[in-house]
Amino acid sequence: MKKFIRTGNPYIWLTAGTLTICLLMICGLVVLIMVNGFGIFWPREVARITLYDGTVALGEIAKRESIPHQKDSFRTKLKVGNRDVSGLDFTWFDDTDIVSREYPVDVLVFERREWGNMYGFLKGLRQDDDVKPLSLEGLMPLLKESQNLYKKIRYIEKKEIGDISYRMEKSRLALKRLMLLEPSEKVQKKVSAVRTSMDNQEKTYREKEDTLTALYTKAREREVVVLLADGREKIMPVFQIIRVFAPNKMGFFAKMGFYIAKFWEFIWGEPREANTEGGVFPAIFGTVMMVLIMSIAVVPLGVLTAVYLKEYASDSFIARLVRISVSNLAGVPSIVFGVFGLGFFIYFIGGGIDKLFFPGALPTPTFGTGGILWASLTLALMTVPVVVVATEEGLSAVPISIREGSYALGATKIETLWKVVLPQATPGILTGTILAMARAAGEVAPLMITGVVKLAPSLPIDSHFPFIHLERKFMHLGFHIYDVGFQSPNVEAAIPMVYSTTLVLLFTVLVLNLTAIVVRNKLKKWYNTGSM
Amino acid sequence: MKSLKRRKFNDRAAHWVITLGGAATVFVVLVLFFFIFLEVYPLLKGAKVSKENTYVLHGKAVSTGVDDHQEVAFAMYNDGGIEFVSLSDGEILKRYDIASLNGSSIASVSRDRDRLVLGTNNGRIVTVYINFSESFDNNKRTVLPEISEAETVLVNNEGKGINYIASRGDESATVTAVHTEDGRLMLISSEVERALFGEGERKEIRKDITGLIVQHSHGQSSLKSYEDKITPPAFSLAKGGNGGGQEKHERGGTHAVSKSIIHASGQKGGVGITSMALDLFMENLYVGTSSGEIFHINMQDRENPFLAEKIRVSDKAVTALGFLLGDISLVVGDQNGGVNVWMQVRDAVSPSGWTLKKVHTLTSHNAPVIAVAPSTRDKGFVTAATDGTIHLNHATSEQTLLNLETKSIPATLTFSPKANGILAADFHGHLFQWNISNPHPEITLKTLFGPVWYEGYEKPEFIWQSTGGTDDFEPKLSLVPLIFGTIKGTIYALIIAVPISILAALYTSQFLHNSFKIIKPVIEIMAALPSVILGFLAGLWLAPLLERIFPAIMIMPFFILLFIVIALLIWKILPVFGKGRHRHGVEALFLIPFIIGAVFVSIRLGGVYESFLLDGDYRAWFANVLGLEYDQRNSVLVGIAMGFAVIPLIFTISEDAMSNVPNSLRSASLALGATPWQTAVRIILPTASPGIFSAIMIGFGRAVGETMIVLMATGNTPIMDWNLFNGFRALSANIAVEIPEAPFGGTLYRVLFLAALLLFITTFIINTFAEMVRHRMKLRYSKL
Repeated sequence: MKKFIRTGNPYIWLTAGTLTICLLMICGLVVLIMVNGFGIFWPREVARITLYDGTVALGEIAKRESIPHQKDSFRTKLKVGNRDVSGLDFTWFDDTDIVSREYPVDVLVFERREWGNMYGFLKGLRQDDDVKPLSLEGLMPLLKESQNLYKKIRYIEKKEIGDISYRMEKSRLALKRLMLLEPSEKVQKKVSAVRTSMDNQEKTYREKEDTLTALYTKAREREVVVLLADGREKIMPVFQIIRVFAPNKMGFFAKMGFYIAKFWEFIWGEPREANTEGGVFPAIFGTVMMVLIMSIAVVPLGVLTAVYLKEYASDSFIARLVRISVSNLAGVPSIVFGVFGLGFFIYFIGGGIDKLFFPGALPTPTFGTGGILWASLTLALMTVPVVVVATEEGLSAVPISIREGSYALGATKIETLWKVVLPQATPGILTGTILAMARAAGEVAPLMITGVVKLAPSLPIDSHFPFIHLERKFMHLGFHIYDVGFQSPNVEAAIPMVYSTTLVLLFTVLVLNLTAIVVRNKLKKWYNTGSM
Repeated sequence: MKSLKRRKFNDRAAHWVITLGGAATVFVVLVLFFFIFLEVYPLLKGAKVSKENTYVLHGKAVSTGVDDHQEVAFAMYNDGGIEFVSLSDGEILKRYDIASLNGSSIASVSRDRDRLVLGTNNGRIVTVYINFSESFDNNKRTVLPEISEAETVLVNNEGKGINYIASRGDESATVTAVHTEDGRLMLISSEVERALFGEGERKEIRKDITGLIVQHSHGQSSLKSYEDKITPPAFSLAKGGNGGGQEKHERGGTHAVSKSIIHASGQKGGVGITSMALDLFMENLYVGTSSGEIFHINMQDRENPFLAEKIRVSDKAVTALGFLLGDISLVVGDQNGGVNVWMQVRDAVSPSGWTLKKVHTLTSHNAPVIAVAPSTRDKGFVTAATDGTIHLNHATSEQTLLNLETKSIPATLTFSPKANGILAADFHGHLFQWNISNPHPEITLKTLFGPVWYEGYEKPEFIWQSTGGTDDFEPKLSLVPLIFGTIKGTIYALIIAVPISILAALYTSQFLHNSFKIIKPVIEIMAALPSVILGFLAGLWLAPLLERIFPAIMIMPFFILLFIVIALLIWKILPVFGKGRHRHGVEALFLIPFIIGAVFVSIRLGGVYESFLLDGDYRAWFANVLGLEYDQRNSVLVGIAMGFAVIPLIFTISEDAMSNVPNSLRSASLALGATPWQTAVRIILPTASPGIFSAIMIGFGRAVGETMIVLMATGNTPIMDWNLFNGFRALSANIAVEIPEAPFGGTLYRVLFLAALLLFITTFIINTFAEMVRHRMKLRYSKL
């Protein structure tokens, strides 16, 4: 035995153990996020819990765990919803207090525009002081109708009124600019023209608002009566309901369909209720756009640097300086880039642009505040080293013989580079770009101070000229996780949402990284066969 | 076909463009550094005088004041005249005479923002309000002074003049302390009693509290000695600041305002009072005497004021007293020219539990201090001395930022409302005005990195608390707790990450079978994991879990070791196992079920362990036995989460270093009969040690700058202790939390840039060093 220990084999097992721990940690993490992230859209059955003291509660069983420091005792966490009635989304019950737990077939879950889910039984449709019985099937057409109404209202609010206020804001700024000019007849004429158009806009705005009020009144007309767990009745406008379903009645395929619908809403929908419900589309959009702008900025700089280091620089002082700079850009904490972005891009350059081109809007900043352009540029600085390293790798893989062949045919250095070397190194550049994108997609700290917001009123791309609004603030998946998980007033109810957002982010980053690896491997194979 | 010339030109141009592009990276780093430095630089600069002016007055000023924008100043003369001077051209805009003075003259003034309480030479108290209102006409601002007089109060019937006056008041109550010519100290307070129905009734209390001071004085003898010691000309001039002045300076000489302090104190029963200050709460009166003592009179109960404390603050007379913004710190100026800041500090020995202690010492004047004017913006103040020097001070940072000179004796001193100007007037009809720029008075190296005695603390401490709820909040901007937090988090992360990652790298590079080399990219992908995900899981998933199963975590390492041993034995006993293709190099996979089992068993046994060894409740046990508080978001959590982020980094770099050790070395060692483990430890590790070292350095750099994990997994409390079970606040997280709210160009903004600069410099040094070490290693390998 002693001899065996002396060979050191047990220690090898110890080192193997550390590697196993690493592997388990990463697999465990991915599995944890997948289970929690994918799980939340699955409709869960609604239980009715009766306690010894007569309390009845209705809700989804969220968790069951043992009570610390008490043997063999458990408690159940029930998502009771009905936040407008009970004030809390979750309630704990000691299992010893529970008399019965059953799953009533006709219990319904109402997803509402406000106040979260409601669990209860449908009693009927309210007509004056009477209640007309209504089945779930009967409710569906009403729901469809109110959803169409909602779409109409949204269209007016977002598109039409949005357009008007956009134009009004433009006119206001134009007026302000004219006021700054020397008063003359020409200016006066322009001023009055702007004023008339403003009045017109005001008028259309009023008209739209009247239509809206009428629509809202119409929306509130139909109300359903819901019987809650404790026997109380709750009156709720149909307009409030987004979706209603009976989870205890659903079969597997119905649940599957529901799951897909929910997942669809999550990816393509807008967030609701302080981001704790609905979808994350604006965040996905913001992340993608930010990453694209960033890659436009980072690729030229990174490729130039790599080409310089690999093709032009000998082992000179400057080359070493460049190398040290690149490795430092890789090592400087991301928050420092954020601080730099805030001071340099936003206050210095953005403030300068405002003074030069948008004096009319001051003191409200246009570019002098956080925006998608500044955030992208900040991240571009941060990801330069990633592109440099990958591009260098790509350039090294191009065999010298190819270059020499090109020179031998009389090509200049730049011609060789441009027509022979760079095309062959494209996979390397691509790898670098993808890795930089992955890095940028996951970074949050610098964005927090350079233009990310928890809820952006409009996307950076819309139908107003010039269509791409680089000065706008945007939403970002990573920040969404931080914000919803840590700054939301109702963290407990928001956690499922955070898990699914995390899943989307993790998925994006992993796919980008895997793509990069695949591209890199392709590159290797290509040269192994191509160079001969 | 392009011409050869053209092609040559293109080639040359491309050469330059690419060289410039390459150099752009260097440029970016330089800009990064210099820009951040430029934002920090103004912190190092002191105050500056931007404009200096002298205006002509027409009398002996007893008080001065200025509006918010420093456009109009007023000077109040001892005869009750008030003149408003335009500060742009020195023109007298308006003159007003206080009617209720009735021919008497002003002997002393107490100013509380717009409320001026005047003590006359015939024993009356007159209250005057001077306001500046602004009106806008065609976008042009005009400042309109407004004056209103309130009722007059008669102090005594004998018509004795008022030497010193200190008064505070609001809508419902006023308290005035006066020291009269005949040496008496009177307290006059009036209060509107809130009645349930109808109008409130005004209630006035008058108290003669001379006794409180006389009884506790050193007796007549010491007062006499003070009379002998003081140099009359200097001091009576000083006295003139509040009263009237010396005979020879009096132009008219018709009415002597007050004699001098010597005269007053010499009287029977009188005390040598030389200054007074009353706090905003109208509860504490501080009286400075000629013997260098301060009497603290508590008047919480206005009917029964009592002497709370008597303390010696100087060996000469206390010639000026004044409160700083917030009315907690008391500025004490003495006859030697000393300027100190005192405040009430908790004290176990004193009967009231509080005692007055000296907390800040500022640069001394060379002559008796005669006036103190506090800033209404921060803890800054101005002091003037009889030699004509005026100092601009800041209490927290203990620095004297400006040293101004007047050729005469400043009798009255005012700090402008926005703390951007100083106004002083002498008896010869001069009004001096300075526009100052003093952007960051609270920052010195000492306030950033040293212990500072803040208001309300018992001793000098390192505190970070940048904003408070009130306007009179004293910003506490010590970077030490944040640096400490960064170091604490980094060390805990490295304690977890370094052993795991280096051992794992050793195994991967030396023992892992070639067909499993795919494991390396898997761990590399782990490096790409966004830190916000780690932070979220740490803060919302792991934190509550850790709290529940902490005892299990404590025993987990032992169980993991035990299960590895068990796995080893099973491997030995069952020789069939793995005898196939992979004899060695599959240990890591073989161990997977065992380690999962170990985790499972330790969670099951955690409760047992807790009930037998930790008295059933580990938190109570930690608190009782180790004296440690357990917070849910603590350093262990950060260690694990940040370790997770650092592991792949250290792993990748050190694995590279180890697998790049030339094979010849390895083969030679094995050929000489060393076992694989001996080869690994004695040959591979030492050869690769520079690479491993630089891997640790780079991991260290990453941990230092990591923001999101620290932000989400700690409570972000800037406290300083090594307790494993509480949180901390790191430099990086602090920047992320505070910079969105920091006003552009303000002190906090620049201090946060300084924090960023510190991070930048630290990581720069670490990375450059690591890079150099790696470069050396490469050279060495190529020689082997």
